[in-house]
Amino acid sequence: MKTLIQVAKADLRESVRAKWFLIYSLVFGGSIVLLFALRITESKVLGFTGLSRLLITYIQLCVAVLPILILVSTVRSVVGDRESNILEYFLSMPISLGAYFWGKIMSKFILIFVPIFLALIGAILWGTIKSLTIPWSIAGYYSLLLATLSWCFLGIGMLISAVVKRQEWGLGLSILIWLVLLLFIDVILIGLMLQHKIIEGVIVGISLLNPMMAFRTGAVLLFDPELTAIGPASFVILDEMGHNGFLSFTLLYPFFLGWLFAGLGYHRFRKGDLF
Amino acid sequence: MISIENLTKKFGKAIVLDRLNLKVEKGERIALIGQNGAGKTTLIRVLLGHYLHEGSVSVFGFNPRKNRVEILDRIGFVPQLPPPIQMTVEELVSFSAATSRISTPEKIHDHAENLGLDIAENSKKTFQKLSGGMKQKLLISLALAREPEILVMDEPAANLDPQGRQAFFLYLTRHMQNTTMLLSSHRVDEVISLITRIIELDFGKIMRDELVNPQESAGQMLDCKISFINPNDATGRAMENWNFQAINGGLEFEGQFIGADKLRFLTELSHFANNIKKLKID
Repeated sequence: MKTLIQVAKADLRESVRAKWFLIYSLVFGGSIVLLFALRITESKVLGFTGLSRLLITYIQLCVAVLPILILVSTVRSVVGDRESNILEYFLSMPISLGAYFWGKIMSKFILIFVPIFLALIGAILWGTIKSLTIPWSIAGYYSLLLATLSWCFLGIGMLISAVVKRQEWGLGLSILIWLVLLLFIDVILIGLMLQHKIIEGVIVGISLLNPMMAFRTGAVLLFDPELTAIGPASFVILDEMGHNGFLSFTLLYPFFLGWLFAGLGYHRFRKGDLF
Repeated sequence: MISIENLTKKFGKAIVLDRLNLKVEKGERIALIGQNGAGKTTLIRVLLGHYLHEGSVSVFGFNPRKNRVEILDRIGFVPQLPPPIQMTVEELVSFSAATSRISTPEKIHDHAENLGLDIAENSKKTFQKLSGGMKQKLLISLALAREPEILVMDEPAANLDPQGRQAFFLYLTRHMQNTTMLLSSHRVDEVISLITRIIELDFGKIMRDELVNPQESAGQMLDCKISFINPNDATGRAMENWNFQAINGGLEFEGQFIGADKLRFLTELSHFANNIKKLKID
């Protein structure tokens, strides 16, 4: 455990020093500032206004950019160290493979989640100063949702990083996976539905296997309890799982996927040649 | 201490180590030599538990892959090319000490000072910003501070200046008599005075395995006086590089070097063979 914390601390320090972390933090911190500057709290959608309106927009923004940012920043972890011989040097010290791998994950999770969480907290603080009503339940649920989504894509990124031999392949594969998941949110599924080749329940099932879709639908559920925004699929979802069941699913499913992919990545990492 | 039986390592269809058998006893100092691609680095990586392999390998009686941490806690490793670590010197020192049972930042500072590197002065610099020689000195200090029972070094003195090499060889010959060493090198003359055994690899096989009489003067400082027929800038620079002092108006030079560096010193001096008037080494 001591070594795992050492690895995590070392990785944290190195990443904070790197420019990508600054850019990453600016994207999320800056987006909150921009949303306030654009007076989005004064607009209204589906009856939501004020800070709730801002958080809804923020979460939609996260759906779009968070997964790819996480993948791109995580996928270099193992393969980058391998290519630069840093892995060879560090693993010549008495550091277990588990401490190295999970230490990296721990550090990356902190690096990914803290800026988006702080941006959320910043929005709440600013809302308090501006005497806006604070939607605590939405803020709490969105924090958990962001944490599980981060964990999920972190797991995918670490799996890719452990499997590929070169950073370029890792980056290419990350973008490909993100695109496929993004397309499966709407474009391909709508195409399938239009052709009536697959029954509706199966389509909804497939779509919810996509963590981005689960995240997106979960985010909608909180301000639109009947899920009217997503059309007829809402009947299948709410009939099968119910409101609270589906909320739990959107939190637990990405969390489970994150562990699954990270576990597979670790298994691959420790089973083969390290370089 | 190290026992290898029928070790074979393949990458795809390429056989990099081919049914290797080797036993290394405590205190042996081995030069592992061979051309690029001979299998030196692969052998080292197998011993450090980085590669899966066929055959049996045991270090301190343990399997290097299954008991990585136990074994690596007793091994010091210095790579040939310093990795592009982004940590500051201070962070790297703390990190290395924290992962070891024995090493402490104070021990690392002491070793670095002996090698001519002031860690405190460079503590805030990132490791990447250090010069090649400074990086090498720091990596050696990190390895020595672990008080390793086996020291594995890839081209250990390649980036060191004569002063650093002198301190390094002095330390190895005087304080690490019982440490088993595995020194990988392209050139045996770099390490000949330190070693007790040469193992030459070629195409993954051991082509030569010979015992070498250790040079008795390896750990001693040798006095040297040299005069040139026609001293010039090149001879002056070479002597200055070895910290020799000019005497008699620059016609002669005198100074000291460590016995372990004798062959290297003479090799460098051979560039001026036709210009040497008198050479005395005590």
